[in-house]
Order: sequence, then structure tokens, then C-alpha cells
Amino acid sequence: MGGHSNWPEWIYVGVVIALMVWVGAEAWEAERLVEHVPADAKIIKVMGQQWFWTFEHEDGTKEIGELHVEKGKAYKFEIESKDVNHSFNIHDYVILMDAIPGRVNTVWFAPTDVGEHDIQCREYCGLIHYNMRGTLYVEEPSS
Amino acid sequence: MKKLVVLFLVLAVIVVIPAVESAFAAGDEPGEYLDRRAVIWNLFFRMMTIAFVVGAVVSGTMIWQCWRFRESHPKAKPTPYEGTDW
Repeated sequence: MGGHSNWPEWIYVGVVIALMVWVGAEAWEAERLVEHVPADAKIIKVMGQQWFWTFEHEDGTKEIGELHVEKGKAYKFEIESKDVNHSFNIHDYVILMDAIPGRVNTVWFAPTDVGEHDIQCREYCGLIHYNMRGTLYVEEPSS
Repeated sequence: MKKLVVLFLVLAVIVVIPAVESAFAAGDEPGEYLDRRAVIWNLFFRMMTIAFVVGAVVSGTMIWQCWRFRESHPKAKPTPYEGTDW
């Protein structure tokens, strides 16, 4: 085997490891950024049940099937379920979090534009899952 | 072995350390909210870029190997374990 060299293999292995480390670091960094909840985020309790969403604001205001928030403010959702597994999804804001009975899952966001967006259940939860929808209304800030 | 250590050290310096540093430095500005859409979609597009580049390189290498090391290639030579009956 004269003249044989293992260097190409080792370089290949090194490049693959470096790429995997880089991909892992990028994903870890993105996860760290989106999970870092701002200290001034307002808490909204989200309850999923067959087959609608209920929202409770910090001041006790409750909404069913629709949610009103203000542009430029941060909100932290505390997501629960009353019956079976659901998944809280606001597609336009890339929010997706499971609603599990007996467990509180959190996710936060800060709406950037005034508008209406769909809220939906993203985990099959029974007969009327397809219609477990709501609407997010992003409004101008009041103060 | 020494060369391998040097290779991995070089890789660490050019890849790992900058990635870790940027990870710890970003995202701590008070009162500024990041746009999770931008973060998540940027990650998606970067990962897709890497995935397609790696896919092209790996499949390209395999295709080239099949083409170059076929028996009928003009420069093909028998390897020692194939014997001398070529």
C-alpha cells in the first residue's frame, strides 16, 4: 500500500464534525434567543378544550375564540388544556406550542404589525378539530 | 497524530469558538424584542443552504467515484488485492 494517504479521509471527517457542530450551535442559539422571555412581557393564559380556545389577560379579562393584543408589546402565553392534547398555533407569528392537560407550556411573542391573524389547533383533538380556530387581533397600542 | 491534533485545533479556532462567542453575546439588549419569525426562518434558510450544499458535495463525490473508478476508465489500475489477472 505504498504511497497511500489517509489525509483526505481525516479532512472529510473533520469537515463533517465541524459542520455538525456549526449546525448544532446555530440551532441552539436560535432556540436560546426565542426562549428568552422579556421581563416586561404580559402574561396571557391560554386554555384549550374541545373545541375552542379561551384567553385570560393579566387584568382578568377573558376572551373566547378571539384574542386582542397591542402592537409592539411582548406577550407570554401560558398554555394549558382541559381535556386532551391540543396545539396552540399562530402561523403568521411562527408560534406553535402543545397544550397538554396538567402541564403549563410557555411561548412568547411581540406583534410587529396591526392586523388579523388566524389561531388554530395543530394537534388532532377529535371530531371538530378542523374548526378549533380563533382570531388574533393586533391593535395600535392604547398608551 | 500530532497533525490530527493540529487539524482539529485549527477547526476549533475557525468554527467552534466564533459560534459559541456569538451565541453568548447576542440577544441581551433590554427593551428590544426580537422577531421570532426572523430568527426561526433565518435558521431554516441557513440549514437548508447547508443541507443542499452537503447533499450536492456528497452525491457529487459518489458520482465522481463511480465514474473514475469504474473498470473501463482509461486510467484504471488493479489494486493489489485484485491480483494481477487484469
